[in-house]
Amino acid sequence: MNESQLHSLRRDPSPAFASRLRVSLRALDTETVSIPTRWPLMKIAASVAIVALIAGVFSVPSVRASARSFLALFRVVNFVAVPVDRARLDTLLKKPLDLPGLIGEHVEILQDPGAPTLVASPAQAGELAGFAARTPGEIPVAMTRTEIGVSGERAARVTADTSRLRQVMDALGITDLDVPEGLDGQTATVRVPPIISMTYRQGPRVTRFLQTRSPQVTLPDGVDIAALGEIGLRLIGLPTTEAHDFARAIDWRTTLLVPVPSTVSSFKKVDINGHSGILIERQASKAVLWSADGLMFAIDSTQQMSDVMTMANSVK
Amino acid sequence: MAIEETMPGRLLRWVTAAEPDWDAVYAEQLPRVYNFFRYRFGNTADAEDLTAKTFEKAWRARHRYRRELAGFSTWLLSIARNVGTDHLRASKSLVPIEEAVFLATSDTPEDQAVRNSDAERLATLLDELPDRDRELMALKYGAGMTNRAIAHATGLSESNVGTIVHRAIQTLRTRW
Repeated sequence: MNESQLHSLRRDPSPAFASRLRVSLRALDTETVSIPTRWPLMKIAASVAIVALIAGVFSVPSVRASARSFLALFRVVNFVAVPVDRARLDTLLKKPLDLPGLIGEHVEILQDPGAPTLVASPAQAGELAGFAARTPGEIPVAMTRTEIGVSGERAARVTADTSRLRQVMDALGITDLDVPEGLDGQTATVRVPPIISMTYRQGPRVTRFLQTRSPQVTLPDGVDIAALGEIGLRLIGLPTTEAHDFARAIDWRTTLLVPVPSTVSSFKKVDINGHSGILIERQASKAVLWSADGLMFAIDSTQQMSDVMTMANSVK
Repeated sequence: MAIEETMPGRLLRWVTAAEPDWDAVYAEQLPRVYNFFRYRFGNTADAEDLTAKTFEKAWRARHRYRRELAGFSTWLLSIARNVGTDHLRASKSLVPIEEAVFLATSDTPEDQAVRNSDAERLATLLDELPDRDRELMALKYGAGMTNRAIAHATGLSESNVGTIVHRAIQTLRTRW
């Protein structure tokens, strides 16, 4: 009897059973409390844009009123994880500020990506997205790719309203930073190029591999990005000193902040084929983000860590 | 690189005391609990029922889970063990192996036939082990726990766990 035979009784639960049980657990929620929602990778990506927008447009000390703007082409090289204090945001949402409305009033969707387009091959995905799609060279033996989708370009414009921003800052007790004069009406535009998403499955385990080009952000001329970042960091809950030091320590044009909810287990820097990235763990879920050759990559998976890292390092 | 090098220590503390990501926990722990029961009782239908009971109990009690006392997997497996013990008390007669139904895998039909044959044989032999030994084998090979984790979960010493598991494997090999 060998080791393989000792493991021969192992099976993956049937997808039907896994699905039935999940539904029955969800049903239990009606008699208990609501499930803490997961923070999917795309929501993290979306929040990156939101943080960038809030941090970027609403806080411009000594901004020079100017009709000119410059294109900040974010050639993302580094990723930095920033913990988000969800309790603080929850507190803010309970205040009579109508925060979603307040933000929504000043965010104009210029381009909606719509539903992702499903394609049959990486080559087709690349044609739609405008760049050659990469694929992992190594995946676990029993894993199969089940879907390839391409989301179109998305773009949004944010218009600054300093009095509203002051309201939000006051509600959060941020009284030591000033909202600059002359910012009202200034706009920032964020464009996120098409995103290719490849889904892999192995039994109940799901892995998503995402890739896109760096986003483009157009800001009013004369913007002090570090100062902008400081208010943004304070809004998401960083303490005064950390926000100040952090905002001035990083290169905002080559660094993408990844807000990490306080429900993660850990995060750390990793090296993916010589490129710097970050790895975020939340119980069984892992997300690794890195940048190479002008593209941003992310893998979101419930596979074993070694499998996730092998996939990431084999992308070509 | 350590997390501390990525973020200041003060910020690091913010990411502790986390509530589990239940979707992710479900995806990772479901196979472990399910296979624990397959090794414990050798029957797919029972394994599904008992797995469902375990998750329902854990789900209802999840607010009592305390990260500082035990890893989530250990906590969940302790619930599974209790569910298994209750099941054993309720039905002393263990399930006949011929009821075992194995699910389709990506193996070739030939591989699967060999695998099913091995699995049936293993289930039969596991059934002949003393109950405590079988539970340890289920924790080791079904749930994929280390000897140390099993020791922590059962209150046995790690060396004792190692000895029992080793002896059980020797028995299985002899009878194979």
